[in-house]
Formats: sequence, structure tokens, C-alpha cells
Amino acid sequence: MSQQPVERRPNGAAFVIAAGLAVMAGLLLWDASGLKQDGGYAGVGPADVPRLVAYGLLVLAALTVVSGLRGDLPRAPRQAPAPILWILGGLGLQLTLLHVVGFVMSGALLFGMTARGLGRKPLWLTVTVGFGVSLIIYGVFDRLLRLNLPGGPLEMLIFGG
Amino acid sequence: MDSFGLLMQGLQAALDPMILLYALIGVTLGTAVGVLPGIGPALTVALLLPVTYGLDPAGSLIMFAGIYYGGMYGGSTTSILLNTPGESASIVTAIEGNRMARSGRAGPALATAAIGSFVAGLIATLLLAFLAPQVVKLALTLGPREYFALMVLAFVTVSATFGDSALRGLTSLFIGLALACVGIDSLTGAERLAFDVPQLKDGIETTTLAVALFALGEAFAVAGMLRPEEGMHKITGRVRMTTQDWARSWKSWLRGTFIGFPIGSMPAGGADVASFLSYAAEKKLTKHPEEFGNGAIEGVAGPEAANNAAAAGTLVPLLTLGLPTTATAAIMLAGFQQFGLQPGPLLFVTNAELVWALIASLLIANVMLVVLNLPLIGLWIRLLTIPRPWLYAGILLFATLGTIGVNPSPVELGMLILFGLMGYGMRLYGYPVAPVVVGLILGPMAEQQLRRALAIAQGDWTTLVSTPVSATLLAISALFLVLPILMRLRGRGGVLSQVAGDAD
Amino acid sequence: MKHAILGAALAVAFAVPAFAQDYTIMAPANPGGGWDATARSMQEVLQAEGIAPSVEVINVPGAGGTVGLAQFVADSAGDPTKLIVGGYVMVGAILTNASSVSLKDVTPIARLTGDTQAIVVPAASDIQTLADLVEKLKADPGAVSWAGGSAGGTDHITVGLLAKAAGVDPTKINYVAFSGGGEAMAAILGNQVTAGVSSVGEFSEQVKAGTMRLLAVSSAERLPGIDAPTIKEAGFDVVVQNWRMIAAAPGLTAEQVAKISADIEKLNASAGWTSMLETKGWANTYLAGDAFAAQLDADIAATEAILRDIGLVQ
Repeated sequence: MSQQPVERRPNGAAFVIAAGLAVMAGLLLWDASGLKQDGGYAGVGPADVPRLVAYGLLVLAALTVVSGLRGDLPRAPRQAPAPILWILGGLGLQLTLLHVVGFVMSGALLFGMTARGLGRKPLWLTVTVGFGVSLIIYGVFDRLLRLNLPGGPLEMLIFGG
Repeated sequence: MDSFGLLMQGLQAALDPMILLYALIGVTLGTAVGVLPGIGPALTVALLLPVTYGLDPAGSLIMFAGIYYGGMYGGSTTSILLNTPGESASIVTAIEGNRMARSGRAGPALATAAIGSFVAGLIATLLLAFLAPQVVKLALTLGPREYFALMVLAFVTVSATFGDSALRGLTSLFIGLALACVGIDSLTGAERLAFDVPQLKDGIETTTLAVALFALGEAFAVAGMLRPEEGMHKITGRVRMTTQDWARSWKSWLRGTFIGFPIGSMPAGGADVASFLSYAAEKKLTKHPEEFGNGAIEGVAGPEAANNAAAAGTLVPLLTLGLPTTATAAIMLAGFQQFGLQPGPLLFVTNAELVWALIASLLIANVMLVVLNLPLIGLWIRLLTIPRPWLYAGILLFATLGTIGVNPSPVELGMLILFGLMGYGMRLYGYPVAPVVVGLILGPMAEQQLRRALAIAQGDWTTLVSTPVSATLLAISALFLVLPILMRLRGRGGVLSQVAGDAD
Repeated sequence: MKHAILGAALAVAFAVPAFAQDYTIMAPANPGGGWDATARSMQEVLQAEGIAPSVEVINVPGAGGTVGLAQFVADSAGDPTKLIVGGYVMVGAILTNASSVSLKDVTPIARLTGDTQAIVVPAASDIQTLADLVEKLKADPGAVSWAGGSAGGTDHITVGLLAKAAGVDPTKINYVAFSGGGEAMAAILGNQVTAGVSSVGEFSEQVKAGTMRLLAVSSAERLPGIDAPTIKEAGFDVVVQNWRMIAAAPGLTAEQVAKISADIEKLNASAGWTSMLETKGWANTYLAGDAFAAQLDADIAATEAILRDIGLVQ
């Protein structure tokens, strides 16, 4: 992924990453403070390892800032946002609709929107293909191999429940 | 002679055409379900066990063995082809295997995985047959302090293989360790970072994280590219392994086997730990360090052999002591009961014939696996010729299918998406994703073993170095930590970092 | 389009053997555990005996069953085809995890099977009887390390009850939680800990082979075929049964509950279930109706008390 030549100038992303790590560390420390501090016979309790990890993260955050200032981090290549949004949309729809319309329909949407996002048009075609693929998968895995996949009205209609 | 004779008898009985057919069906079914990302061998065996109920004992036993090996093997196919690990033991396979697939060498990658699994399965099953009682005696002398030392060794050796930047590798590892803190602390029942979300109480599912980081992160990264790399999935070169591939693979298979089998036999070992250690060993020992990170065949051959050998190793405590040390083993225990096998220390005495029939079945299933999968490789790699939009649409559907099949809750799917985005971000800034998963798997193991060891010793830290095994393992770990620093100080580090820098 | 046609063809092929599900049994644990085994055994017998032709098992693992329980309560209310397997471990897990739902939120149908707890020591140990062990415990509670399952589980509760009955402060016990029965058993066999607690079934083969010494069992009466005194006999008033039950969804009508109860009673009376219990080595502890409800209440109250004593519930 990192074919970009490394440019030696401060890198803004490094500060965002470092901040993220620090937030994570803060969360660990905050949670650890609410836990039982007593380690029992071991002397090491449930709060101690999260603390250790948090300190590690803080050190790494500091080092990330340093390397960001020195421009050591690789720069992200420019990205096309549209395809990513298509995929995210597909995943989001599947998540929200899974228990409403069942595995086949929500899977068809995810499949169709992902293919559309990666440049295959039109959407009705990709969703239709996705419908076929999902249907086969549902048939094989839920019906034949008895893996429990959520069914909706459509699955009821085709497979009888 | 006695055991050998019994084994031969078992093998002879298994050569019946009907029995072979059952083996084939078992392997096919096992592979079909095992191929799903997120659905590991445990669930595969649980789902398919009822299929074997209707058959006579011989047929049922062999179908069962087939399902077991099929389920174990299935995960590596998707790891290599789609960068979507099927279970935690094939995560490292995805690192080099998928790189090979991208440079057009999917065929040899799948072949070395299949043959490596076969070789490892064969040797490990034979070791199981003839050495199980001795091996288990050794394994039982290990307690929490030895396991803690083993985890430290795994951390140190695996960390050394995290790509070109120590900072980014360690950052990834610590993100994994932080995620590992989520959930109920099994030693005290204290709830950590779960925020009253029921799905978080049991911690973050390894397969959810792995599938998200690898498959979803990858899909986002590919979709986001402004100028897609041309011919990323072209199949160039031969489908079969070249002489050079063979020459580079066989030692890795053997090393993987001899790393995997003992670790699988340990009650707190596990196929994932075995595969990590094997990968680290291959990277250290290879003559082609520049290829690691770009698709080194040793990095597929070793871990794949190791995880299969570990799978056979799990049977050692199971058959000799009745100890189910993994979820898969626990289900197998239930499976054995239907054959009237009561695993325990007396099993080899009271049920010798059935035990040898089982071992013979495992050997046959192992052969069947390679027979089924080698010809299929040509077909599998066609998958990669599917145009990119369809391919990634399919990958996403399969990735979510695994999660939905295991636990169809919106929270689990939400985590999948969230971690997928995290994987995407990590890819953009050159952070390796594998260490996150390594941290998530090894972190809790190390923590729990440490705290158990200390509790047993009532807080006395010297317990950690009080046995020869734990002291040796910790000393080796320390050596691994100090050695690179010494080498760097002596000025040899320049070459090393040069090599590592090219490897990304 | 080719796919769609193929799919339709497949659909027809699958439609024939597919029935409406009579029951969906949730095992609130991963495959491999006791609850999963109970659910899958029920599935097999219900189908084989023709009590319910189509039964499906789903696994919702997590946090001693409370994740599955919460999902079951939320998704299945009023649905008479949904069942959930549960057990004594859940009682403790609901309390220690401060679960938002409890067994009051489902409709318990019947207790089906139960395991007795056993206290063992490695064969190499110098401890011969439960009295020896308790003596050590009294002298220095920290020096006696106990191997067992997860914190707050049945094994932990058993140790806590024993300590309390022996006059030892239950918060002072050195209980080492292991994940899964296999790892705890390995620690006992490897002489890593002083004593171990788990179900009798898990230890019986080891005891037969002489690699472990069985000190006592937690049942009210001695178990047939097992040569060990009860904890009660040894002078400590502790009886623990790790039972497993089946429950139905909340919000069912009396007729619906009666129908499910009748099916489960049929299951319990069937020859298939009897032989299934025999192969699995489970004791039949069938108890239904008001007697079960009363037993459940008593268990919940007792468990809450001991978890408070151990210090796991505030």
C-alpha cells in the first residue's frame, strides 16, 4: 500500500492517530479506576493489565507525534469516497433490514450496492444478481446445512418457513 | 506390533468403497461449511455431527473425521484467495498467502497449504497414535507459569515479524491488547469496558475482528483506490508448485508440524498460537527474507502445517485423558459418546479397537482431503478471475454471512463494520492489521496465565522462573529482545532494516 | 439472471422437505458446552420420537448465558415456538453480571437434568479426606488453591459454600478460575493446584484410573456406583446441584404453556430421552410445575446469599 515516497514534513494524520491512541488509553484508565483494585492472592487484579496497556498506548501516542513531526509516517494515497459510501450504505442497510426482510433480501442489497460501488452498473442488475446469490447461499447453508440464518417473509414464501 | 496391527486392521476396514464414499462426503461437507469466514471447525462439527448419526459406527466415525479435517482446512482457502481468514488459526495464512494470490501465485499457495496440511496431518496423526501417552505426560507438567512464559515467547517472536516499522507494528499490537481488555474478566467476574452492552460482555469475537480487519478493510481499500492496480488478481505462472516451491516448502511443513503438534497437545496451547510461532520461525529462518510481506511460500507452508498438526495434537489430551482443550474437542467428545467411546485415561485399554479405527479414519480423511482439494485448486483460483465488482460483492456477502450465521445480532454486525473501517484506516497509513488480531488472541491468554500462576504462588513473582521450562522460555524471549539491539549496535542493523523496509 | 433461475430451481428442491419450525431452541452458549449439548440432544430426541418433527438449535454465546437470555426475552415474547436452555450457572451469572433480565422474565417449563459437583485432589496429594482438606483451609486459606470453572460459576459457589460451612471467611478462598473444564482438569492432574471442583462426570474416568482422588460429592444422598461420601456426611451442610432446564418465552397464554409442558413431559417420558441421558451420563432430575418454580426461587435466594458472601455481588 505504501508506494508513496516518504516526504519529510509534518504529517497531520499522525496527530489524529496519536489523539485516537490517547483517547483509547484514557478510556482504559477511566474504566480501570472503576474496577476492584484488589488483586486477591495474585496481587495482580482486573484493573492492572488494562492500566499497563494504557501506559503503553500513551508512549506509542507520544512516539507517533514525534514521528509525525519528523514526517516519518507514510502518507495516505488519495481516496475516492463514492465507492466507499456505496459499500458502507450496503452494510448499513443489511444491518438494519436483516431482521425485517430476512437474509436473502438484505444480502441482495449488500451485494448489489458493493458491486455498484466498485463500478458495475446499473444497480437493478447488481441487486438482482445479488438476490440470486443470496438465495442459493440461504438454500445451501440454512436449509441443507442447517446453519441458522434469519428468515423474513420472502424466505417463508419460498422455503415454507 | 500390537498397536501397529490394530492400526492396519483399522485401515483395512476403512478401504471399503462405501466407507471411502462417506469419507469423501464428510470432507466435502466439512470444507463447505469450514470455508465460511467466522465459522470455525467447532461450529462446523457441531452443525454437521447429526449427519453422522444415522450411519453404522465405521461409516459414522470416518465421516466425522472427514468433517473435522475438512472444517480445519476450509479456512485456509478463503484466507489465501480472498484475504478473509476462516478462523483464528488461519489468520497468518492470509498474510503471505493472499500476497501470493495477488501476484498470481494462488495455485502454489493453495497447493502448499493443502499438501502441508496433509503432511502435517499424517505425521501428527502417527505421532498421536504412537506417542500420545508419553506426550501427554510431558504436557501435564506444564502449568500456568509455563504457559505464561510461552505466551511471552510468542509475543516477542511474533512482534519481530510485524513489517517495516516497529512503531506501527507495536501500535497495532497495543490496539489489539486494548481490545482484548473488553469483556468480563474470567478470573474475578469483573466487567471491563463492556458499557452494559450484552454482546461486549464476552469480549470481542476474534473471528469478527479478523474478518472485519482483513476482508472489509481490504474491500474498502480496493474500492477507495483512484487508479486500481491493473491485473491485481491475474493468474500468471503455473497453477502447480514448481520444483523451487517444493524445495522451499518441505522444510517449512516439517518445522510447522513439529511446532504445531506439541503446542496443540498442551492443554492451554492452541492452533492459533502454533500458527503464530511457526510464522515467526519461518520468517527468522528463511533464505528469502525480502519475500516476507510480499508472498513468501514458507509463510503459508509453515503455519498451515502447524495449525493442522496442532489440530491432531488436541486429540492427545482428548483421547488419553478425556480433556477437551478446545471447543472443537469438546464437541468431538460428544461425538465420541455416540460411538460408545468414553475418552479418559483408560480409553486406549478399554476401547482399543475403536480408538485405532478412529485413528485410521483420521488418516483416511486426511488423504481424502488432499485428493479432493488438489484438483479443486484449479477451480478455486478461477474465483479470482471474477471481475472485481462481483468478487468483492461476494466477499462481503460471505464475510457477513459468517457473522450472521454465528450470531445474528445487529451489534455484532455493527462491530464488523466499525472494525472494517478501522482496518481501512490502518491500511491507508501503513499500519499492519495482523498484530491487532495477535494482541486480541494472546493478550487474554498471557494475562490469565500470569494471574493464575501468581494466585497459586500467593503473589510470589519468583514462581515465574521457578521451573526449568518457564525459566528457559523466558530466557529465550529475553535473548530475542536483546539480540536485535546488540546487532544494531554492532552496525549490522543497517542491512536488516534495509531489507525490512523493502518488504512492505 | 442465470443465478436467479438456478436459485428458483434450488428453492423448489428445498421447499419439499422444509416444514414450519415447531421449536427453535436457543442454547445461550457456544457449541461444545453442556447447554449446547442439552439443546442438541433435545432436538434429536424431539425429532426422532415424533414429538416435534422440526426443531432448530441456535447458539447465542456469552457471559454465562445472560447474553442469550437478554436476546431471548427481547425477541421471543409471546412466541410459543421459542425455547431456551438454561441452568444453575445462569442464576449466578445473572447476579454477578448485573444482567438486565433474569429468569423471572422467561417462563420456566421444567428442570431436565443435573450434575453433582465433586471435590477432588491430585493422586499425589497427601490429602486423603475432605476433613484433611478443610483442616488445611482453616489453617491457611491462601495456601489451598482451588481449580474450577469461571468466577461466580457453580464450582466457585461450591467452594464458597464449603468454606462458609467450615467457618472460613469465603472472601479469603484462593479460587483460580480456568476457562473450560479441560484446562482446570489439566491443572489438577499436573499437581499445579491443591484441589479441584467440577461435575462428577468430568472427573469419573480420572478417578477410576487412579489419577485423582475423589473426596466428596455435593448431592444430598450418596451416588450409586461412586465411592465417595457426600459433603453433608463429612459434616458440612452443603448440597449443590448444577441443574439444566428448559424455559419458554415470556407472555404466553396458559394454553400455550400447557402445550409446551406437555411436549416436554412427553420428551422426558420417551425411551429415546432415557437412552440419550444414559449415553451422555446425565442424571434425570425432571421437575416441573409449581415444584420447579419453588425450587427455582429457593436456588436464586441461596445463590444470591453465597455470592454476596464470596464478595462477587455487592
